[in-house]
Amino acid sequence: MKFSYNWLRDMVKGLDASPEVLERLITIKTAECEGIEVHGADFIIEVDNKSLTHRPDLWGHFGMAREVSAITGQPLRDPVMPQNFTAKNPPVKVSIDDYSLCPRYSALAFDNVTVKPSPSWLQQRLEAVGLNPINNIVDVTNFVMAELAQPMHAFDADKLHDGPIQVRTAAQGEIIEALNGESYELDPSALVIADPKGAIAIAGIIGGAGSAISEKTTRLVLESANFNAAHIRKTSSKIRLRTDASMRFEKAQDPVNTVRALERAYELLLEVSPGIRMVGGLADAYRPPKEPAPIVLPLDWLARKLGRSLPAEEVQRILEALMFKVERIDAGTLSVFVPTWRATKDVAIKEDLVEEIGRMVGYASILPTAPLAAATVPAPSVERVFHHSVRDAAVGQGFTEVYNYSFLSEELAQRFSLDPDAHIRVTNPIVADQNLMRTSLLPGIWKNIVDNTRHFDSFRLFEIGREVHPDREVPHFVAAIFAKDDGVAGLHELKRLAECLLPGSESRPSPGARKFEHPQRATDLLHAGTLFGRLFEFHPRMIEHGRAAVLDIDLQALMQLRSSNVKYQQLRRFPSSSFDLSVVAGPRALIADVQAAMKTLAGEALVSIEFLRDFTLPTGDRSVSYRLTAGAPDRTMSAEEVTSVRNAVIEGMRAAGYELRV
Amino acid sequence: MNPESVISELRDTTLKALDAAATLEALETIRVDALGRKGKLAEVSKTFGKLAPEERKSLGILLNAAKQELESGLDSRKSALESVALDARLASEWFDLTTPAPGIRPGHLHPVTQVQREIEDLFVSLGFAIMDGPEVEQEYYNFDALNIPADHPARDMQDTFWLKDGRLLRTHTSPVQIRALEKLGAPLKMIAPGRVFRNEEVDPSHEHTFYQLEGMMVDRDVSVAHLIYFMKTLLSAIFHREVTVRLRPGFFPFVEPGFELDIQCLICAGKGCPVCKQSGWVELLPCGLVHPAVLRSGGLDPDEWNGFAFGLGLTRLAMMRYAIDDIRLFASGDLRFLNQF
Repeated sequence: MKFSYNWLRDMVKGLDASPEVLERLITIKTAECEGIEVHGADFIIEVDNKSLTHRPDLWGHFGMAREVSAITGQPLRDPVMPQNFTAKNPPVKVSIDDYSLCPRYSALAFDNVTVKPSPSWLQQRLEAVGLNPINNIVDVTNFVMAELAQPMHAFDADKLHDGPIQVRTAAQGEIIEALNGESYELDPSALVIADPKGAIAIAGIIGGAGSAISEKTTRLVLESANFNAAHIRKTSSKIRLRTDASMRFEKAQDPVNTVRALERAYELLLEVSPGIRMVGGLADAYRPPKEPAPIVLPLDWLARKLGRSLPAEEVQRILEALMFKVERIDAGTLSVFVPTWRATKDVAIKEDLVEEIGRMVGYASILPTAPLAAATVPAPSVERVFHHSVRDAAVGQGFTEVYNYSFLSEELAQRFSLDPDAHIRVTNPIVADQNLMRTSLLPGIWKNIVDNTRHFDSFRLFEIGREVHPDREVPHFVAAIFAKDDGVAGLHELKRLAECLLPGSESRPSPGARKFEHPQRATDLLHAGTLFGRLFEFHPRMIEHGRAAVLDIDLQALMQLRSSNVKYQQLRRFPSSSFDLSVVAGPRALIADVQAAMKTLAGEALVSIEFLRDFTLPTGDRSVSYRLTAGAPDRTMSAEEVTSVRNAVIEGMRAAGYELRV
Repeated sequence: MNPESVISELRDTTLKALDAAATLEALETIRVDALGRKGKLAEVSKTFGKLAPEERKSLGILLNAAKQELESGLDSRKSALESVALDARLASEWFDLTTPAPGIRPGHLHPVTQVQREIEDLFVSLGFAIMDGPEVEQEYYNFDALNIPADHPARDMQDTFWLKDGRLLRTHTSPVQIRALEKLGAPLKMIAPGRVFRNEEVDPSHEHTFYQLEGMMVDRDVSVAHLIYFMKTLLSAIFHREVTVRLRPGFFPFVEPGFELDIQCLICAGKGCPVCKQSGWVELLPCGLVHPAVLRSGGLDPDEWNGFAFGLGLTRLAMMRYAIDDIRLFASGDLRFLNQF
């Protein structure tokens, strides 16, 4: 919302604060200013619309003038001259179907109208606050809106069909050609202003093209109405049309203001359209809302809320400067009457008054105070501590943390073997194709890898983030190593990282590698039979000029597996004996299978089995060496017993088809 | 030769030999030769048997003296040789410690993680619990329960990503206020860091995905003075220095009164730059006293309970902490950026 400094000065007598000082005062006391622009001889103070959301009165200059007057103590000048329009002899009959949607509809009618450009002072005022001058009649309605926050609309009376003006819900499929050249098809959720032949305006949003003011207009009906805020907002978002009028109405305007606006417009019309004549009196369909009860404000409660006490006189002075009416119930309690322009939505409960008093007295005047609260141990946040420990493990091993977006395109989802239909879809994505919520961190990590290969020959990175599935959000840890080598080191490093995160984890290559995975380099990661992650190398089609190994771990599963209870086992009291064995296995045999077989064969006597090394023989077979340690809990094993364990393993392995190099 | 001469000659020649010995092995040969069980001194003593007791005694003393002299000569020569050997070994073991160490270097935590952790630790030490909520949120928790009913214009304040299933991406961490009250009740001290989403065009100071940290304290008596106390404690700890702050009214439907806590821009020291939109001030903390409607949503009676709440922009804080002037870098995954932290 743009505020003209000169316009405000017209309404605050003797305002001597410079535009810069005024901007700062408004920011500190009322609403956030975003800057000052010079506009000819005027200065435009731009106030953030978001900070006016709760202040329907500040959508016009007079409302801001009230604030400035309260802040500076300089007197306020009301631009509205009371006209005492007679309610007898209304120029049009107005009927309102539902007063909860339209609490008030006021109108005046004029003839002998001359439509022409506005005088330059009026045009300049409008331009200063970002409104385009159109003609003297429309300009007056816009001027009043910018001044009093009351949107108005002028109809060409000759283009209306004789009969009453009705405020009603739209018929299903009712079509209206609007002033902006668009045509809108409405349904009964919208409210329209209608003459006997049909809608002439979408209530509170935009007028119809058919009754627009033109150069030929000589008679007009001037509407100044009040509409239900939520209803206007609903219709406005439904038909995707936000106007200066709808923006104001959806903040809940004051119904008292409709006639004030007509009074102001009347005076201006006499000036800009010489010879204009009012026809009849005031049309005013009005069902005043129930007057809100005064707010009871206990001063000790106020002091407890603010954390500082204020004398009753000061509280009263502040509230009265803001035009609240204040009565003393007793020495410690005030009764506060809210002015109509603050009562529509903004101020209703005593907490709202804490803000009025707090901002005026200044938050800087409140002494920071430590609360008197019981010292308690906070509820533990196990998951967060765990995630941080995973981060530390990864960083310690050279991985750098990245954050990726939660969005994914359908194309990328498919590239990662993800069914787009198994994703939550975003209705209004920023970029049209980024419309899925990620159910995997892999596409993001892949992109990070590809991007960083432009700058680095080798790197490690990781992300902790959520997979967002339709029914659950699962935290995942994904780490990647990129290098321009044969890829084996990266896979091993990531496997080691997995083992650091979860000692005792095992890999189980699965035959069905996904299409983005290297078909010979992909494995599930398990712990005690429970799947918790996957380790793979990207398919060469995914990564050019290098190899990337990836570890993807479900952190929820990992945390559960890690929290399994550890139980101490007695230290062995008797020495054990070790012996080494080398097994020759086929070219594609899995070492894990060799080890499992040996472990079974060694039986209970086995204390530990340790992988030593493997190498490929000229035949293509693999020679795998292990150190086995045997022992008994209750005695030292004899040499014969150890030998028999060794023989059992050797024979068993031979029987299973392995060759042993003994 | 009389035995005295034999002993003294043996002593003299052995001492000479010790001086000449260049290795520990040579030394050992000399020792065995002279002092060994079958060594020369032992042989001399064997001849003593034929002598008269007085003579034997005086020779014995002589022999022992020679033996002791040789042993100590041997020891000192041995330690001299050992020290030479050690010196030689040390000299040969020169190592250039300016050689770059092999092996992998530690990686780097994301700057937002670092800031988040620091603040988490701070609040945990003040007795706050750390809570969490879903990123895909129900309209109720994100809006209605926070005193933002449907068709309230405040919904426009936060451009929302809506999901086809009717839910939304949380626009702030404030839904956790309600979830925490439902879960833990009052009194409550909690923070909730997390990822939030706004349907905004991306530029150097706007992102559609960023990080917030919600904070809430609910107790019997909680005032604006308490809120300011906590915010001052927080900010002085975060920035490790005096920062210039100001408080001003701010409208957020879930607090009443509500205000904005601004901090003087650390990038331009208040002179004006793109990060602070040339204003010299950066909005840091929307905060306020918890609105009675929110307390009711959380199942509390506002006549009995009060609270304050605040929302800290973790991303913005990281920008200020590290003087980062482009918010888009955080989600760039660019290691040239991330490896700086």
